[in-house]
Amino acid sequence: MPPSESTTTIDGRRIGNPLGHRIFYALIRVAGRRAAYALLRCVIFYYVLLRPSVRQNTLHYLRRRFPGHAPVERFFDSYRMCFEFGKVLVDRAVMGIRGPGEFQISLRGREQLLGLLAEGKGLVLVTAHVGCWQVAMATLGCLETPVNMLMRREEGELDRHYFEHSGENPYRIIDPAGFLGGTLEMLGVLKQGEVLCVMGDRVTGSARNAVPVDFLGGRAAFPFSAFKLASTTGAPVVVMFTCKTGPGSYALELARVIRVSRDLGRSGEAAAPYVAEFAEALEGFVEKYPYQFFNFFDLWNQSTDSR
Amino acid sequence: MTTKDKLKHILIEELNLEDITAEDIGDEEPLFGEGLGLDSLDAVELVVLVQRHFGIEIKDMEEGRAALQSIATLAAFIDGRRTA
Repeated sequence: MPPSESTTTIDGRRIGNPLGHRIFYALIRVAGRRAAYALLRCVIFYYVLLRPSVRQNTLHYLRRRFPGHAPVERFFDSYRMCFEFGKVLVDRAVMGIRGPGEFQISLRGREQLLGLLAEGKGLVLVTAHVGCWQVAMATLGCLETPVNMLMRREEGELDRHYFEHSGENPYRIIDPAGFLGGTLEMLGVLKQGEVLCVMGDRVTGSARNAVPVDFLGGRAAFPFSAFKLASTTGAPVVVMFTCKTGPGSYALELARVIRVSRDLGRSGEAAAPYVAEFAEALEGFVEKYPYQFFNFFDLWNQSTDSR
Repeated sequence: MTTKDKLKHILIEELNLEDITAEDIGDEEPLFGEGLGLDSLDAVELVVLVQRHFGIEIKDMEEGRAALQSIATLAAFIDGRRTA
């Protein structure tokens, strides 16, 4: 599927071109997920072989996750990582087009989550660009508490969120491009005892809102806004990651509960120990699922400017 | 000290605003963006500071949106809640 106007970065949902995405959606409708995977193998091979920028985007992470790998091994690491990412995009579309019954999704830590919610201070759920977080987040409906997600539709995104296929959005979206980055809305939902989901591995907005911590052998920039919100409201922070556990199964796992002290202050340094806990949990995830890390930014080469 | 003056001193001290005095902050100057240059995390801090120093909780975020425009609007919000 060599596209004429394709974008070749894989930061988020910009890979491919509109026609390519529509072909996949049609294939899923007609022949199902496995047929889409088969086409995906060819498409990914094309991109990884002939589009160096795609391969390059995977190397920030792969060089640190597999420091001893030779260039040939690294090529296949890139291929595998991109293929896993492609499968997640296919699965997401499958869920939207054919319904959630196509997958078995398990929530590990449900009772603990319910206990934390019962404290009445809301819940800050910090996750990362791993597995298929959108699919797994759909399981949070069992908490019977409104779920709010901080996320932004970027210009140029081609792939659809899974709920955009079915028209049913399981969570309310808070736009970080809104007034004060959606901060007041986020405070509001926590004060109402609701769940707030944020990505803990992507710095958006000012570099002042990030702090460097150890991650895969280097200092990587992670945002600390979620921990600041938790400090202000007293809400517990839960670190949860999704992973593809089989051809038709996903799990949403509670990796860690972090209690942030009250009145943390404005500086990133004060939040650093909590951010480091998150990074440590994420490191544990990528040790276990090395090819399901889909943050294609160079986390180790981002400036921070915390006061 | 008026509520406005108190707010200015609180902002400078608690948000570590460097090279700026209370006199430099205009009552109508926007707190965020191109005005005083505060950002979204400063907004969180500001909500905490208003609660800590004035005992007033900004619960309604729509109300907070109107209050957090400038020193003047925030002071009016605080004074209004005190007399309510």
